[in-house]
This record gives sequence, structure tokens and C-alpha cells, in this order.
Amino acid sequence: MNALHPAARRAAVALRSYTLFALAWWALSAWVANPIQLPDPLRVARALATLFADGEIVEHASVSTARLLLSLVVATALAVPLGFLIGLSRRVEAYVDPLIELLRPISGIAWIPLALFIFGVGNTLPVFIMVYVAFFPLLLNTVAGVRGTDPKLLAAARTMGISRAATLRHVVVPSALPTVLVGLRLSFAGAWAAVVAAELIGAPSGLGFAIEWYRQLLMSPKVFAFIAVIGVVGFVCDALLRALQRRLTPWTEGQGS
Amino acid sequence: MDHVTPKLRLQGVSKSFLAPRAKAPTLAVADFNLDIHPGEFVCIVGPSGCGKSTVLNMVAGLDTPDAGAIELDGRQVQGPGAERGVMFQDYALMPWQTVAQNVGFGLLHGTPGQGMSPAQRQARVAEHLELVGLTAAANKYPHQLSGGMRQRVALARLLANGPDVLLMDEPLGALDAQTRLILQVELLRIWGETRPQAERRTALFITHDIEEAVFLGDRVVVMSSHPGRVRADIAIDLPRPRREALRADPRFGEFAEHIWSLIRDEARQAIGGLTPTTPQEETTA
Amino acid sequence: MSAAVTRSSNPEVAAGRVGPVPAARDRLAPWRALALPALLLVLWQLWALGLPADTRAPYPSKVASTLWALTASGDLPLALVQSLGRVMAGFACALVIGLLLGVPMGASAKLRDNLDPIIESFRPIAPMAVLPIAILWFGTGTPAAVFIVAYAAFFPLIVNTVHGVMNVPRRLLQAAHTMGVPRTRILLHVLLPASLPSVLLGARLGMGMAWTAIIAAELAVGAKSGGGTSGGIGQMMFVFYAYNVDLNAIVVCMGVVGLVALAIDRLFRAAERRLMPWKA
Repeated sequence: MNALHPAARRAAVALRSYTLFALAWWALSAWVANPIQLPDPLRVARALATLFADGEIVEHASVSTARLLLSLVVATALAVPLGFLIGLSRRVEAYVDPLIELLRPISGIAWIPLALFIFGVGNTLPVFIMVYVAFFPLLLNTVAGVRGTDPKLLAAARTMGISRAATLRHVVVPSALPTVLVGLRLSFAGAWAAVVAAELIGAPSGLGFAIEWYRQLLMSPKVFAFIAVIGVVGFVCDALLRALQRRLTPWTEGQGS
Repeated sequence: MDHVTPKLRLQGVSKSFLAPRAKAPTLAVADFNLDIHPGEFVCIVGPSGCGKSTVLNMVAGLDTPDAGAIELDGRQVQGPGAERGVMFQDYALMPWQTVAQNVGFGLLHGTPGQGMSPAQRQARVAEHLELVGLTAAANKYPHQLSGGMRQRVALARLLANGPDVLLMDEPLGALDAQTRLILQVELLRIWGETRPQAERRTALFITHDIEEAVFLGDRVVVMSSHPGRVRADIAIDLPRPRREALRADPRFGEFAEHIWSLIRDEARQAIGGLTPTTPQEETTA
Repeated sequence: MSAAVTRSSNPEVAAGRVGPVPAARDRLAPWRALALPALLLVLWQLWALGLPADTRAPYPSKVASTLWALTASGDLPLALVQSLGRVMAGFACALVIGLLLGVPMGASAKLRDNLDPIIESFRPIAPMAVLPIAILWFGTGTPAAVFIVAYAAFFPLIVNTVHGVMNVPRRLLQAAHTMGVPRTRILLHVLLPASLPSVLLGARLGMGMAWTAIIAAELAVGAKSGGGTSGGIGQMMFVFYAYNVDLNAIVVCMGVVGLVALAIDRLFRAAERRLMPWKA
């Protein structure tokens, strides 16, 4: 095992852990002996295969992911410019920040009943909740990123006669970028959690809806299968974001939430 | 005093490291030999990366040599121990403890304080705080202190543990130049340079500052790098106690210049890309 | 040239200062802080005045009176106590498991490599996604809710604990070693205090997640069990949505959710300051 390349070794250890986990699961499900409460791994695997084959997983997953992407785009379009405004201007901050701090503790979930009244059950509700949830980490991190610009870098730019606009573009933005990307990852994590909650309660489609649907039908293997899909999609998206982080900000190393 | 067995003996010590993504291990220290006698203050200087800290780590027991032997009082060194107390460049103070608690840490939790009553421990802590002049700061936290004060706490802690040998790894390296000059004199006073050699504690001091080494040491060992080994062992027979005025003494300058001439070329290469100086460059400087 | 740059309308950026606001502006700060929220409240109230008298739409004055009514009747305090009780129970479970797993994982790379894949695989699975399973196992009552809360609080706790233990400066452990301190004492008197800041951060984040999770769980369970007996603020919100439709009450609940979240955050920060007097 130790002779392998470190990444391969870690993959092998991970594989072993998953296998042991599956075995423990199997043992537990045999002991509990209640296929509705705890279906064994094989059943879940078969349910996964079936759901894949008839396209249900792809259908629901793409609906949820589409909502996620839309929400992240909208949230970014709102949060990043506002974040820059707040970060650069103490005046704007003085007026806007209190409102932000008043709204932020009210979790997106708490908005669901009111939002259900306004939007009804459908596509808009999950997106609204997700935009709300994604908005705050992005905003806060953008502000932090802008504020965190090293004053010495700004001073250096000034001594080189660089204009304010150019300083903004070439010093502040790159300096803030790593923190903004961390905010994006946080926003994603929050939004992905929110989409399930929102779909569970107030949407006619998507992974959250599917889980609840099959639970009411007491078809546990499918419930577990969809939960696994939620995990996988979440994992893949986060990995993609981390890759984006490395691509856009190669000068940072080992930074992450 | 035993003239036959040195206090600390390193014989044929070698150490290799495998750097990440390197194909073969690099030899950091090769065939290092050094005898240190009781009560001596020995300084090791050398260019960056010559392995001086590696040597100290091995004496401290934080690292093991690949070959050779390290003996304290004739017995082989096995792992860290309070008889070989260490002072680090980054102080290594526990941030959540006050100055007094830090000084008493080894006494409370380690081997030095075994058999001591709380009152005895407290007295010892107070004594050493007084020694380094930090009695007034006893209840402060490290973050409230300046670098120089933190290093004095580290020194107090080291001495309170009553080690046989003091191992100091560039302890003044993180301080500004003025503080360094002041603490060099303080260090010698606290170490007890006015006492006869038999009553002093043996000290091994690593530094990259040549003048510091000459000022502090009875001997200066010059290391060469790649791999690290002893290049020269110079006895500094300047009078003790070492006073500030000594820095202007021509003999002081001669020692320093001689040592620098041994290190200079390697140091230039160590910082990357500079070629050794030619004889003309040296004389017209 | 330098005059033009330093006299820019944004003195902070031009001067390279991103520090605290100059003292001269501080007197007006509280007013500035209230300006936007107050303006929005006023606009909201004005908008509502233009609506028919029997409107269901919520507005500030009605929200305030509903808050009073709910508090006086004891409904709101009771629901709050129920929700908080579950949060604390769930958080306590997560704390115990998180520390028991997190400290060894932080100290041992081997353990980390083995357990981390499992934990990281579950992290993207939101607490709400696990709710249906919890209901399958425990029914729609408090045990399911506590389970979800524990699940939610677990991840920030363990991630931060592992991080904290991993990042204890090696130097401190070495220093203790060179003083002859035995291994168990190093664990107790060096490793744990050194990782305390991270553990407390994880606790604060975990508690925040726990609070969000309980509201969500109570809301969802209330929705699925037809306003069942789960109690708590979340369920109360659902009741006011589906049964005694009262949007003002919903807004009151939302406000309470926000206030409690804020209070939790402040409390934990105060605890952090108290427990770590050595922090700069």
C-alpha cells in the first residue's frame, strides 16, 4: 500500500473505508430486519440502477441542479456587486449593513411558509429560497475579500501612479477573488441543503420531492437511492467549485472552508 | 570535573532527508564530530540550510541520526528529555497560559518538577522570573508581550527546568537587531558567565549571526553545507565577562571576519545564483 | 498627480486605509443604521394601508399586535421552549460524538484517511434530506427532530475539531516533549487547550446549523403529519400557514427565528471570549 503514489494510496484507503461501511450497513440491516426502516445495500443499489434506467434520477437531478445553477447565478449577480459597493464605501455600509444583519439570521427555511403564499407550489419557490440562502455567504465573503485587500498593495499601486479604476480591477478584484470563491462554495453548500428542504415541502419535482414521494409510498430503497444521489451531486459540484478555485486563483494554496 | 568524558559528544553523526517529490534522499549532515566540555558555551554558525538546526534537533532527541552516536555524559541520547532543555526561535510558549504558568509548565507536568510541592514550584518560578527581570509580567499572556519579553520567558522556563545542557536554536533570530544586542548581554549574565566554568551550564547555541556567535561563545564551530559538517572549530579567547565595548575591539572584528571568510562563498550560493567572490572583490570591498 | 488620487471621493481606498471609521462620523452612526430598515418599515405600513380592511397581507402594526397576542397567550414562549429543548439535546449529542471522533482524527493521519471519506460523503447530504429516514425510524415526534439537529450540528463540529487538532503547532508539542512531559499529559494540557479556539468555533457554527435544522424539521414534519403534535416554532409556522391562516403570525415566527439565531451567535461569541482570555 505504501509503495503507491500518495493520491492512489488515498483512493485505495477510501475504497476500503467505503467497503467496510457497506459491510457494516449490511450487517446492521440484517440485524434490524426491517426492510422499510433499513433496506440492505444491495436493494438500494438495485433501486439506484432501476431509477437510473428509467431516467427518474436524471430527470429529478437535472431539475434540482438547474434550480441550483439559476439560484447561484442570480445570487452572485446580486451579492457580488453589492459586496463590492459595501466593501469600498463606508457610507454604503453604514446604511445597508444593518438591514443585511437583520435579515441574515432569518434562515431561508423560515421564509418557506410566507414564500409559499406569495409564489405557491412550483418552480419559483425553491429558486427564491435558494437565492436567499446563497446570497448572504457570497455577500459577506465579497465584503471581507474587498476589505481584506492588503493596504500595502494599494499603497504600492498608488506609488506607481495607477488610477483608482485600474487599482480596483487589477489589485482589489484579484485580491478579493479567493475569499469570494470560498463564499461561493459556502453559498453552494447552503443552497444545496435548501433545495432539498424547499422541494420536500413546496415543489412538484426535484430530488427533495422524490425523496418525500417515495417515503410516503414506504419505498425505502428508492428513498435511500435518492439520498445517495443528493450526496453524489453535492460532492461533485463542490469538487468542481474547488477545481474552479484552483484554476482562477492558482496563487492560493490550501485555502478552504 | 572529568576531563576525559566530554559533556556532550557527537561522533560520526549523519542524517538524510527525503524531500517531497525527490527521487533520492539528500544528505543533510555527514560525519559530524563535536565534543563539548562541561560549562562551555559553544556556538555553531554556517550558511543557510547547512544543517545546524538538524544537528540541534538530534541532540535534543527530536530527530534520530541515521549513523553515528550522540552521547551525554557518556550515555547515548534517546529521545527528548528535560536534561537537554531546548529554547526555540519561535518561543514555543503556550498561548493560553500566563507567563508564570509557562515558566512552571515543565515543573508541573514534566520530569523536572517531580517530587516538588506546589510551594517549591512557585518559589522556583518566582526565582527565575526575577532572574530574567519579568516578575512584573507574571500574570500577562504571551500575546501581550514583546518578542524580547517572550524570549526571556522561554529562557526562564528553560532554566527553571534545571537542564544539564542548554540547547538554543537561533533563539534571538526573530528579534530586531537592537533587542538582539541587548539580550545577548542578558543571556550571558543569566547563563552565569561570571561564575567559574565548572559551575556554568553547558550550552550549545545555533545562530546565523556571526558576530553574535563570537560575542557569546567560548568556541565557534563553523559548518559547511551540502552536506553539513564541521569546517572549523575556533576558540574565542576573548575575556569574560563579555562587555559591549568588546564589539569595538579589533580582535573581535578579526574573529568575525575570519569566520565570515570561511562561510561567505557558500552563503552567496545558498541565497541563489550568486557566484563566489574573486580575491580582488574581497580586498576592494 | 498625487493630489488627484488622494482627493478621490473614496478616501479609504485611495489612502490605502481599510481601517475603522474616523471618530467624527460616529455620532451619526446609530441613525444611519436605522435609516434603511425604518424607511422600509414605513413604506411597508403605508403600502398596507392601501389594502382592504380584511386583507390577509401582513404589515408592521398587525405583526406587532400579533406578537403581543402570541406572547401573552403563552403560545409563542411554549413553542420556543420546545424548539430550544430539542436543539440543545441534539447539539449535546453532536458535541459528544464530534469530539470523541474529531480529536483522535485530528491527531492521527491514519484515522483521518480512513474515516474522512465516509464523513465527507455525508456532508453534502443536507439534514433535511435525512429527515424522511429519521421519520421512518422514529416517527414524526421529538426523537426524529433531535436526530436531525444532531446530524446538522455534527459536521461543523467535527470539521473544525479535526482542523483545530491538526493545526496545533508542532513546536508546542515538541517543547512539552523536551520538558519530559508524558504523552497523556501532552494530550490533556497542550493539545486540547491549543485546539479549543477551533472547537468553540465549530460549536458556534454547529449550534447555528442546529437552530436552522430544527425549524426546518418542525416545518416539514408539521406539513407531512398534517399539523401533528410535534410542537415548536416550525410547526407553529406551518399551522399558521395551513390551518389558522395568519400571515402576521408567520412573520412573527420568522422574526423570532432570526432573533434566536442572533442570540445564539452572540452567546457563543461571548462564551468564546470568556473561555479564552488569552486571545488577542
